[in-house]
Amino acid sequence: MSDAPTPAQTAAAGTSGTSMEFHPQPQGGRPKPWAFPAPDRSRLGNGLTVLRCHRPGQQVVAVDVSLVAPLDAEPEGLDGVATIMARAFSEGTDKLDAEQFADELERYGASLDAYADHASVRVSLEVPASRLHKALALLADALRAPAFPESEVERLVGNRLDEIPHELANPTRRAAKELAKELYPAGTRMSRPRQGTEETVARIDAKAVRAFYDAHVRPATATAVVVGDLDGIDVDAALADTLGAWTGSTAEPRRATPITADDTGRVVIVDRPGAVQTQLLIGRVGPDRHDRVWPAQVLGTYCLGGTLTSRLDRVLREEKGYTYGVRAFGQVLRSTADGTGAALLAISGSVATDVTAPALADLWQVLRTLAAEGLTEDERDVAVQNLVGVAPLKYETAAAVADTLAEQVEQQLPDDYQAQVYAKLAETGTVEATAAVVSAFPADRLVTILVGDASQIADSVRELGIGEVKVVSGN
Amino acid sequence: MGHTATPPPSLGGLTATEHRLANGLRVVLSEDHLTPVAAVCLWYDVGSRHEVAGRTGLAHLFEHLMFQGSAQVQGNGHFELVQGAGGSLNGSTSFERTNYYETMPAHELELALWLEADRMGSLLTALDDESMENQRDVVKNERRQRYDNVPYGTAFEKLTAMSYPDGHPYHHTPIGSMADLDAASLEDAREFFRTYYAPNNAVLSVVGDIDPEQTLAWIEKYFGSVPGHEGKKPPRDGTLPDVIGAENREIVEEEVPSRAVMAAYRLPHDGTRECDAADVALTALGGGESSRLNKRLVRRDRLAVGAGFGMLRLAGAPSLGWLDVKASGGVEVTAIEEAVDDELRRFAEEGPTPEEMERAQAQLEREWLDRLATVGGRADELCRYAVLFGDPQLALTAVQRVLDITPEEVRAVAAARLRPDNRAVLVYEPTEPSAADENDQSEEPAQ
Repeated sequence: MSDAPTPAQTAAAGTSGTSMEFHPQPQGGRPKPWAFPAPDRSRLGNGLTVLRCHRPGQQVVAVDVSLVAPLDAEPEGLDGVATIMARAFSEGTDKLDAEQFADELERYGASLDAYADHASVRVSLEVPASRLHKALALLADALRAPAFPESEVERLVGNRLDEIPHELANPTRRAAKELAKELYPAGTRMSRPRQGTEETVARIDAKAVRAFYDAHVRPATATAVVVGDLDGIDVDAALADTLGAWTGSTAEPRRATPITADDTGRVVIVDRPGAVQTQLLIGRVGPDRHDRVWPAQVLGTYCLGGTLTSRLDRVLREEKGYTYGVRAFGQVLRSTADGTGAALLAISGSVATDVTAPALADLWQVLRTLAAEGLTEDERDVAVQNLVGVAPLKYETAAAVADTLAEQVEQQLPDDYQAQVYAKLAETGTVEATAAVVSAFPADRLVTILVGDASQIADSVRELGIGEVKVVSGN
Repeated sequence: MGHTATPPPSLGGLTATEHRLANGLRVVLSEDHLTPVAAVCLWYDVGSRHEVAGRTGLAHLFEHLMFQGSAQVQGNGHFELVQGAGGSLNGSTSFERTNYYETMPAHELELALWLEADRMGSLLTALDDESMENQRDVVKNERRQRYDNVPYGTAFEKLTAMSYPDGHPYHHTPIGSMADLDAASLEDAREFFRTYYAPNNAVLSVVGDIDPEQTLAWIEKYFGSVPGHEGKKPPRDGTLPDVIGAENREIVEEEVPSRAVMAAYRLPHDGTRECDAADVALTALGGGESSRLNKRLVRRDRLAVGAGFGMLRLAGAPSLGWLDVKASGGVEVTAIEEAVDDELRRFAEEGPTPEEMERAQAQLEREWLDRLATVGGRADELCRYAVLFGDPQLALTAVQRVLDITPEEVRAVAAARLRPDNRAVLVYEPTEPSAADENDQSEEPAQ
């Protein structure tokens, strides 16, 4: 970091006769030790894996359950059945009907969320510690004995169908949908919307949900992560008569198909006549967490577009004012020990319609300059200090810790993975970080999705030479 | 009302101490050594309600300028130094206040205090046309991204304008209008700083793994010499009659994905017992999966994709109860409104059941626990109660006040306020999307 300028005693405070006394920039004290928490791992009699982690002071306990029910296990033509199943977990059990279940949950100040993703179905409970046991009983019933009533599933399907037009109208969601379609081979699950299309969702009924549940949901392949202030709570006892009472067959985990993508440089404009901004999503796929390059890629990607002072925003926002903010990120799609996984590497943001082409030109220039000149030592240092330094803030809440621990399990990573990443980030040099980010974002291998007014932007985008330009209807 | 089923969670023995510097800066400290982090939060008692006609959005635009450097901080240095120290930071502007906050690893607390003091005392030495023009464009893009380019994105702005009369300080929202953002001058920004950015118009809270004595010494060292000044203009009076008196309705025909009914109800001012009662009422009616509106409109009658109430607590003007219903395909607006009114009428007559009281209070209590789970959340709440109500200690007892509300108070506030003649209603009717050009589906070569 650059040092502070000489204290400016003479600078006018601007408002009154007396002026402020300036002092030099303080130097930090000695850092206090902090480490990403190490969970205790155990296994219940029914085969359920349990990770637990005591976080003093965190009175809202988080319980994340990960089920090996990946999207590519959905039967042909039934995209969305994993999503409907996840939602239907809270629609009644063998003891309570759907409304009673919602009543009980909220009576304890608890919340239950569930969603289906490429790697797994995740069910997340959060509840004040004093009511953990009661809420665990509800969660266990939902997983062990879901009722999946026909009428409730039918309602969830109708609700999901009603949601789809809202998603398509949202520029960010619309861009993500188009990128998936462009990037992954036609016919693969990854190329299609995560929560299904109008056509596939309409086919889902209670029978299909039950069949998917029977085939993929069982304690032997599931993991429960319990994080929070567990002081004075007998977690073993609370688990024994709740999630411990869940039974099911043993089953071999599935083998995932390798992720491939076509990153031939090209542009797709999703036409939105009259849009005042263009939503950008520029991406490809690359190394995931099982690749040794991951920490260097995290570091380099942060330098490119992790924050307002990263390279992209320094130009696009703070110099040109084209945007409220553009970010570069790596997001694991699926990560497996056998190395068949991948991460989506992308740049996302929105820019005013009339500066779309100039903004893209600047963005590409940032990428080319980065490839030609590399990162600076200062940039690397600041990025490491931020990425490592913010860890205690990022993992203040129980939910944040539980999410990362569950993610590690879903991605077949060791329980100390995140702790190791912090150690590795600190050892990663400027050269490695440069190589990783340049290889993650090659200027000629990026698929660009623009959701915006084609009549205003198409011609000028063509002139940029960042790939063939195709216009599709936004409707 | 207490919880009979299960013991309530404890608030963990939080405490706060209060101090005041000679220049008028109020300071609130709260110790918690469980995690080596410290939050710094600074609330300035200025928001969009202080803006004048023709200069809406100025408070928020100004907030952006606070990150553009000061006497000892170059350009984006505020961001660079905090992030380089492993901290995170931001600021935000609402109707009633502007806040700035840094969450730091505990050993970097002093840096955050130095940075906040530098801009409080010397922003104008660095403020120039270049940053003004740049941040004007950034804020206009923020407006486009968050409001103008999103379906229903301007609903809040419309309903606010319908709920508070023309000329009322809360008639416009903090983002402001494009025309006013264009019109704001560098001199306006300078004048805004001179008027509102003073130690005696701010509250500073520091929460977390701190040594209170050392922290207070640093605060005295860095902030102590920033001159205080009077001359702040009080905001225009936001008082309005309890009830609007007649429904105010607008139909918006726009390219949105579905019909929607939104409404804003005029509610009691924040800081009153009636406001807490209204919070419980809105939670029982529309605050979750088990709420009346969700059960009726989403589950039983299947009229809506989602139906719920939110609440905007305001201290200087009536609060707003915020209804949002997105219709299911093909459902008519009248069916939705009849169901909503039916539920509100019944609730006003019968009040909440004991089970509904228990659920609503458990949910509100949980919201508090979530807010207090981070040092940043706690620092913000301490500032809120200090700035708006003059007493930060009220933050530590807020949840108890919500738990003390009785079913009769909930019924009474619903009967008095959740009525058709006390709301602004915004109905969205989708229009067909503009016809796409024939070429739109075709592929064309790049060059």
